[in-house]
Amino acid sequence: MRVTFNSGFANALAAINAAAERLLQRQQEVATGRRLHVPSDDPSAMSGAIGARNEARVLDQYRRTTDSAESRLHVLDSALTEVIKSLTTAQSHAAAARTTVLTPEQRDALALAIEGTRDAILNSVSTSYNGLFLFSGSASATEPYSKGPPISAYQGDNLTVSVDVTRTREVAVTANGDAVLRGSEPDDVFVVLSNLATAARTGDMAGIDQGFAALDRAFDRVTTAQSRVGADLSAIESQRRHLDEMRRAADRQRSTLEDANLAESISGLTSAEQAQRAALSALSTANRLSLFDFLR
Amino acid sequence: MPGLFSMLSAAARALEAQRFGLDVTGQNVANVNTPGYARRVVDLAAVPPVDRVSAGGGVEVLGTRALRDRMYDRQLWTELPGEHLQQSVADGLGVVEIALGPPDDGLDKDLAALFDAFARLADTPTSATARHEVIASAEGLVSAFRDTAGRLSAARRDADVRIRGAVADINQLVTRIAELNDAISAIGLTGRSLSLQDEQREAVKTLAAIVDVQTIDRADGGVDVSFARGRPLVVGEHAYQVSVTSTPPSGFATVLSEGIDVTATIAGGRLGGDVQVRDTLIPAYATRLDTLAYTLATEVNALHGTGFDLNGTAGGAFFQPPGGVAGAASSLSVDNALAGDPGLVAAAGVASPGDNQVARALADLRDARVLGGGTTTLLQGWAELVFVVGTDGSAAQAAARSSGEVVQQIETLRDGVSGISLDEEAAMMMRFQRAYEANARFFTVIDESLQVLLGLGR
Repeated sequence: MRVTFNSGFANALAAINAAAERLLQRQQEVATGRRLHVPSDDPSAMSGAIGARNEARVLDQYRRTTDSAESRLHVLDSALTEVIKSLTTAQSHAAAARTTVLTPEQRDALALAIEGTRDAILNSVSTSYNGLFLFSGSASATEPYSKGPPISAYQGDNLTVSVDVTRTREVAVTANGDAVLRGSEPDDVFVVLSNLATAARTGDMAGIDQGFAALDRAFDRVTTAQSRVGADLSAIESQRRHLDEMRRAADRQRSTLEDANLAESISGLTSAEQAQRAALSALSTANRLSLFDFLR
Repeated sequence: MPGLFSMLSAAARALEAQRFGLDVTGQNVANVNTPGYARRVVDLAAVPPVDRVSAGGGVEVLGTRALRDRMYDRQLWTELPGEHLQQSVADGLGVVEIALGPPDDGLDKDLAALFDAFARLADTPTSATARHEVIASAEGLVSAFRDTAGRLSAARRDADVRIRGAVADINQLVTRIAELNDAISAIGLTGRSLSLQDEQREAVKTLAAIVDVQTIDRADGGVDVSFARGRPLVVGEHAYQVSVTSTPPSGFATVLSEGIDVTATIAGGRLGGDVQVRDTLIPAYATRLDTLAYTLATEVNALHGTGFDLNGTAGGAFFQPPGGVAGAASSLSVDNALAGDPGLVAAAGVASPGDNQVARALADLRDARVLGGGTTTLLQGWAELVFVVGTDGSAAQAAARSSGEVVQQIETLRDGVSGISLDEEAAMMMRFQRAYEANARFFTVIDESLQVLLGLGR
């Protein structure tokens, strides 16, 4: 087969260009740490990387929501703890008033103490987080009860606000104050405590017994509410670990698809550089030989 | 004596023949880099003897020939359109790939940002910051859609400009081929028309790179060229110009041959590639993008309409309702009233500002399968678009490389017949040089013999 000047040159040039292209590709990989720069580099990997990156973003958002929900639940839990303490204190005062040997001054002091626990409970359920009331249900811009006097009826609504901490789990970050402080009773705990204070002041034993029983039922409702909050807090803790693990997995998947193996890229860069040198050298060597050089 | 004189003439003719051989060799060396130049060879023939006492009349030059294998030319004209079509598609899609944005900064980032903003709104539905963030994210997403749609449109316009340029190039080439056909026909298929034939073949080759052509060689040395399923370009010395007309509403070029629209029938060459990019590939991508925008706007609006804003008023449209799928990406915009007052974002499911049910539902739209008849999420839809563009680009690059190798092989084979080997020409030069020297020496011997003969009479 005849090998002509142009065919030899064209083939050599094609080889040089191919070597240069491979060298450039490896250079880009090493410089950017990435093997994917445009979709045609590896269409399915690029598509997969978009999915993995999106999953990482979703998990980051759930993480932020989880952290925020946890903070709110801690505040809720703390407020419920204070309510429980106040109820317990009120029960102690009620028990102390359940005797006929007290002086009017002593009864008055106990009544004032019971009213104090009523005001403490009002303070606890008026807790807000970032300007949102936690015991108003979904009406979180509205305080659950007005101070008065007298303390108003419940001003929130019967709903609760939930947030999604994962794709499959939501947690309530507000409470229905009415359900906690009144439930199915005719009077809420503020009315109960006000009546109890009156009964303690007047020595109304029947009234004190009624109030004591009502406080017992209020105690059950509040502890039940706190148990739910506790369960959510506990679930959040394990969800957070799971989210972190999934986040790492998503990042690993994205990296596997998108990132260059630097050791392989550097090694490939060296090989590509050598291949280009060889191609250039071959062209130079082949063109040094010419019959014209030997003619006298 | 007549014998010696005729020998002198024969020697002179031989010198001329060897000189001509050197001339042709020099011509080959000079044109080693001339595109389309086919190696010339000298045809020499021995002059027969005129009588029984003569050995012969020396040598005569019959002419020069160009070494050319028309089969390789035809194969090249057949393969070139495919290579250039794929390369043109690959180049066009390279621009489209850039239009989609870098891997970590594409439209998926803005989509995710909007859903993240809805999630943060669900966390604090009465927060002014969260509401502003929703509007800002929505406007960022609108910009991303519009920018991407704009870049796809620009890529189509670029392809259109190239189509118009290609048509102009075709017309120049067919005019020149027709002129060459005429000139070759006038001169005939002799050594004087070889350079014209070279130029003619090269012009057809250049034309084949632009558009898929069919050729018929004429007996007079001309070549008839047609394209697009038999539409004439060159018939003998007649050139049939191709024209373009701008077709509303896009204003894109329609390619006409004698008034007939042939755009859709152009199947090869860079013109065919640009037509494919402009009229088939990019519109398909734009439709996917428009479907994404339309579905996003429709689904978000549907959910938003079930909610209540900070004032307890029922939610209106979040995005300006798109008129239809076509153009949805380039016309996407946030509702004007909403953009001016984030309090109108309907995050609540009931008329209570602290409720967040609709905000949660909007955030969950991220995972809702609202595309592809309920099989694909919005983000998956974007990933699919990226995948399709990448696959098309990768396939075109691979096909261009593969076709390019075939073309290179054919050119190597063709060059094996028509190409110049400098070493071969050096050897030929030596051959003609030595022959010239020998004939010059013979001429000297005959001259001396004549002088001896003429000296006998004194």
